[in-house]
Amino acid sequence: MTRSLRELWAFFWRDLSIARTYRTVFVLEALEALFGVAMFFYVARFVDSPQLRNALPQGGGYFAFSLIGFVFLDYLNAAMDTFDRSLEEARDSGTLEHLLVTQTSLPVILAGSAIYPFAVTTLRIAVYVAWGALFFGFPLRGANWLAVAAVLLATLLAFSGLGILSASYLLLFKRGNPAKWFLLGVSSVAGGMLFPISVLPDWLQIVARLNPVTYALDAMRAALLGGADVQAVWRPLIVLLIFSAVLLPLSMAVFSWALRRTKTTGTLMHR
Amino acid sequence: MPEAAIAVASLEKLFPPARSGWRAFLQPFEKPSVVALAGISFEVRPGEALALLGANGAGKSTLLKILATLLLPTHGHAQIAGHDAVLDPRAVRRQIGYHAGSDLGFYARLTGRQNLRFFGRLNHLSDAASAQRIALLSEQFHLGEALDRQLRTLSSGTVQRLSLARALLHQPHVLLLDEPTRSLDAIAASEFRRFLKSEVLSRGDTSLLFASHTLPEVEMLADRVAVIDAGRLVTCDTPAALKRTTNAASLEDAFMRLTGRSPHLTGEGTPE
Repeated sequence: MTRSLRELWAFFWRDLSIARTYRTVFVLEALEALFGVAMFFYVARFVDSPQLRNALPQGGGYFAFSLIGFVFLDYLNAAMDTFDRSLEEARDSGTLEHLLVTQTSLPVILAGSAIYPFAVTTLRIAVYVAWGALFFGFPLRGANWLAVAAVLLATLLAFSGLGILSASYLLLFKRGNPAKWFLLGVSSVAGGMLFPISVLPDWLQIVARLNPVTYALDAMRAALLGGADVQAVWRPLIVLLIFSAVLLPLSMAVFSWALRRTKTTGTLMHR
Repeated sequence: MPEAAIAVASLEKLFPPARSGWRAFLQPFEKPSVVALAGISFEVRPGEALALLGANGAGKSTLLKILATLLLPTHGHAQIAGHDAVLDPRAVRRQIGYHAGSDLGFYARLTGRQNLRFFGRLNHLSDAASAQRIALLSEQFHLGEALDRQLRTLSSGTVQRLSLARALLHQPHVLLLDEPTRSLDAIAASEFRRFLKSEVLSRGDTSLLFASHTLPEVEMLADRVAVIDAGRLVTCDTPAALKRTTNAASLEDAFMRLTGRSPHLTGEGTPE
């Protein structure tokens, strides 16, 4: 356990050290977030109406609703992209072979490669919400931070499985991310990101109810806007945890199989 | 009799044929048919240095990658210190230091020291032990100030020296080196060979399997030489015995004769 933690720390330290060589990126991303938040604020002002407020589950206005949907999409994107990007970078820099001949196990290598990107994405979400609260009246006072953290963690675990599946595809076929394309495509319509799923036709609402993104977003909005505690969001949390319990071992098995396949065909380092 | 440091038995490796266009999509599922290794068997004893000598594409790198657990053999067995490379790859990785023969494999925006420390941590070295080893290897490989510069600013020869330092960092019992002095200048190559001979191999607990096209290097380092041609082991013997049995004046000449490339054997031109 201690050894695995040390290995995970090594990956975090590696990525942090690399990121520190690109210092201005942090500042630029924070400014970009400010413009993004401002855009959502003015779009919300343009479309907000009493009817719209009534249609939103937690009330609180369209600005808060849409900003959470947007930053959550960022999180989902990170979960789906991180493993792919780490794998691609390791392959292109030639470090993949050298990582795989170390004494560190494959699950730790995969998890280690994701820690820093997830931490940065979490920080980015915090920056978005902070800008929203500081300048545009995003309602933070009633938020239940423990429930927010629990939802974020469950979401991360649930979607990491899909990210690892996507990396398995990349390992075998060298290009493309069909899992991300499918999930983000479906979720942008039937996930409740920018509008409540109640406006969808019945059959799309059924699709939305099968989509874990819907549960994650419901729980996040309830915790952040409605002040719901962990007990109040247990249903979506359980759905996300079931999703993780199935997907994580499955994706690890598929990734191990894909890795064995590339070791058989000699295409591990092919681009 | 002590257990072999490296034992390779009837090792075969076939690759699927290379495809382009849409057929490349099917390559992961193609039947392997291109022979890279065709039933190679040999052993390396503890403390012994064995050189792999062969033309480009003979199968040397494939063999090293199988032993480093980066490729799976089609048939046969490859063992390091009694551990099977297919059945127990983690135990194998605990024993080996691997150098891939290219100047890739590092993080360009980290310094040499940061890179070495990272790989040291993944090989379970404490930070203190890592710092001690980095200091020693830096001295031996004349890394000096290069250690604290970003990789992207270093010459390929310096990166190659760092890569060799990485392979030796955790003091492995088996070294697998693919063309270790390829990008080094003559002085650096000579110093590396001297270091390997006097500081690593002389201890007697480290075995070396290396591929090289530099014949003086092979003669200086190798106790025995395995000549590989088109995936087959032609012979495996001491450099002196190879020269003697082929009646050759040099190892180069012996190699040419053993692989049928010598005018003397092929009947082309004037016999020596």
